[in-house]
Amino acid sequence: MKFVGLILKSARRSKRRTALTMISVALAVFLFSALRAVLDGFDAVSAASSSTRLVTIRSTSMIFSMPTSHAEMIKSTPDVQDITWANWFGGIYKDPKNFFGQFAVDPESYLRMYPEIVLTDADRQAFLADRTGCIVGDGLAKKHGFKVGDKLTLQVGIPVYGSRDFDFNIRGIYKANGAAVDNQSMMFHWKYADERSTPKGQIGWVVTKIGNPDRATQVASEIDAKFANSPNETKTQTEQAFSASFASMLGNLNLLLGSVALAVVLTTLFVAGNTMAMSVRERTTEIAVMRTLGFPAATIFVLVVGEGLVVSLIGGAAGAALARIIVNGESLGLTGGFIPAFGVNNGNVVVGIGLSLLIGLLAAVIPATMASQLKIVDALRRVA
Amino acid sequence: MALIELRDVTKSYKRDAIDIPVLDRVTITVDAGDFMGLMGPSGSGKSTLLNLLAGIDRPTRGSIKIGDTEISSLSERALAAWRARHIGFIFQLYNLIPVLTAFENVELPLLLTNLSKAQRRDHVMTALGIVGLAERDRHYPRQLSGGQEQRVAIARAIVTDPTLLLADEPTGDLDAKSAGEVLTLLQRLNEEFKKTIVMVTHDPHAAERASHLLHLEKGTLVEQVVQRQGA
Repeated sequence: MKFVGLILKSARRSKRRTALTMISVALAVFLFSALRAVLDGFDAVSAASSSTRLVTIRSTSMIFSMPTSHAEMIKSTPDVQDITWANWFGGIYKDPKNFFGQFAVDPESYLRMYPEIVLTDADRQAFLADRTGCIVGDGLAKKHGFKVGDKLTLQVGIPVYGSRDFDFNIRGIYKANGAAVDNQSMMFHWKYADERSTPKGQIGWVVTKIGNPDRATQVASEIDAKFANSPNETKTQTEQAFSASFASMLGNLNLLLGSVALAVVLTTLFVAGNTMAMSVRERTTEIAVMRTLGFPAATIFVLVVGEGLVVSLIGGAAGAALARIIVNGESLGLTGGFIPAFGVNNGNVVVGIGLSLLIGLLAAVIPATMASQLKIVDALRRVA
Repeated sequence: MALIELRDVTKSYKRDAIDIPVLDRVTITVDAGDFMGLMGPSGSGKSTLLNLLAGIDRPTRGSIKIGDTEISSLSERALAAWRARHIGFIFQLYNLIPVLTAFENVELPLLLTNLSKAQRRDHVMTALGIVGLAERDRHYPRQLSGGQEQRVAIARAIVTDPTLLLADEPTGDLDAKSAGEVLTLLQRLNEEFKKTIVMVTHDPHAAERASHLLHLEKGTLVEQVVQRQGA
């Protein structure tokens, strides 16, 4: 403990350089935490997905639609207990930057299929009864100040829905009970969108509820077999696999984001290492004086490493705190509901701070070794 | 009673493949309580001899015994511990740590001891009191004059009450007035506090303060002078 003051004083020797090093470590930890939050968000969605729900999309890609008749044929598959369907709408709320997920759904079956969408009975009834009604997540409502009874207008984003704006009545604000559903989305009646759709009677995906999760693979095969060799072949997966494939549309996220994080951390490591080496080089005489006073080589090593750790720890803690504030800020809705469980959790904060300590340690090891192995006489002669 | 005994000490440095001799079979005895001045032209080996006595350099051959310890055979770690306990070193350029206050600079060697914070404070204030700078304890080196910096450096050297004080041209960077104050202080430490001092100097005025003088030339002891008796 008696050396802590000495370490802090040394770290404050060049305030600007120390501050810049701290900022670089803070940025590295911030980016690492934010990127981890994206991956964790996808993992959370997969983990929270139901094992009794299957999702059927067009075999070519989910951006292609299929006729509603597919839903009826899927319903008749053995072991299927319930079905619902939905379409991606892609409308624009005032400005494209206000992006959030909008889904045209079959309201009754959709709410039945997703008990995670929590609505009051009154809001549920109001939504079901109003052809132009919609429900919005509480996160989205908070972000845009939506209230039940408000009007909501979306510009058409995908040409198949024509060119006229769509007007909606907000009939309910739902809470998401689990990561499988996000609280940043909007759902409305599929029929309302279909009225203006060209061609009509198209759906994006079908969600199927089965009784026995052990038969998921078999049921999926049976569904896909029904549409084999038709113009609209399908691909059916468990909801978990569907979520994973949804994420994989963006490419190998783990590799991509992991590479970015690694590049940032390595760059910061070199910056911090160079700073520490410069700092030690400038203090050659002082270190020689301390060795003359009787400071053992091991103590010199600990002092330099301690300085690296303190600088990195402060930067890392600041970066992790910043990530918590910015990424977890509900009102920001950074992913527009694309990743429902997006946020920097405690585990990521701990890993981020641990990473900063690792940066500090690795950056300081070589300068600390150089400092502790300094030949006192040579070092004194170099400056004197 | 002999405190320092050097026997046939030789020191040479290797530059590339060439041996450069610095000290050649030097034999010296310094009694406890002596104030030894070490003179000689540049390159005569004065500072090298001082470094050997301080245990920050090792002889190529020969024996260096200080008190009961043969320091030339100590390990690096043991030598560091020995320096902390027995050596107070005063540099020509003071070599205070610029980011530490006078108090913290003097406290530095005490961080290696088991003294409590309060005990360290007492020791530091005593040392600063001896050099007449107790009221400057919160000042940084840049806020002190050269003479004051050297006095703080002397306080740092004596704060552990070492067996031996070694001074390498302690007045070499000071004006005449400050140099006089520093020499008076060293003389006082020798006479009043019975500190054994070995001082390297070029300055004949500084050398006058020593009780004994050694002259080195080309790494060899050429003359030994007794200036004052009973020191």
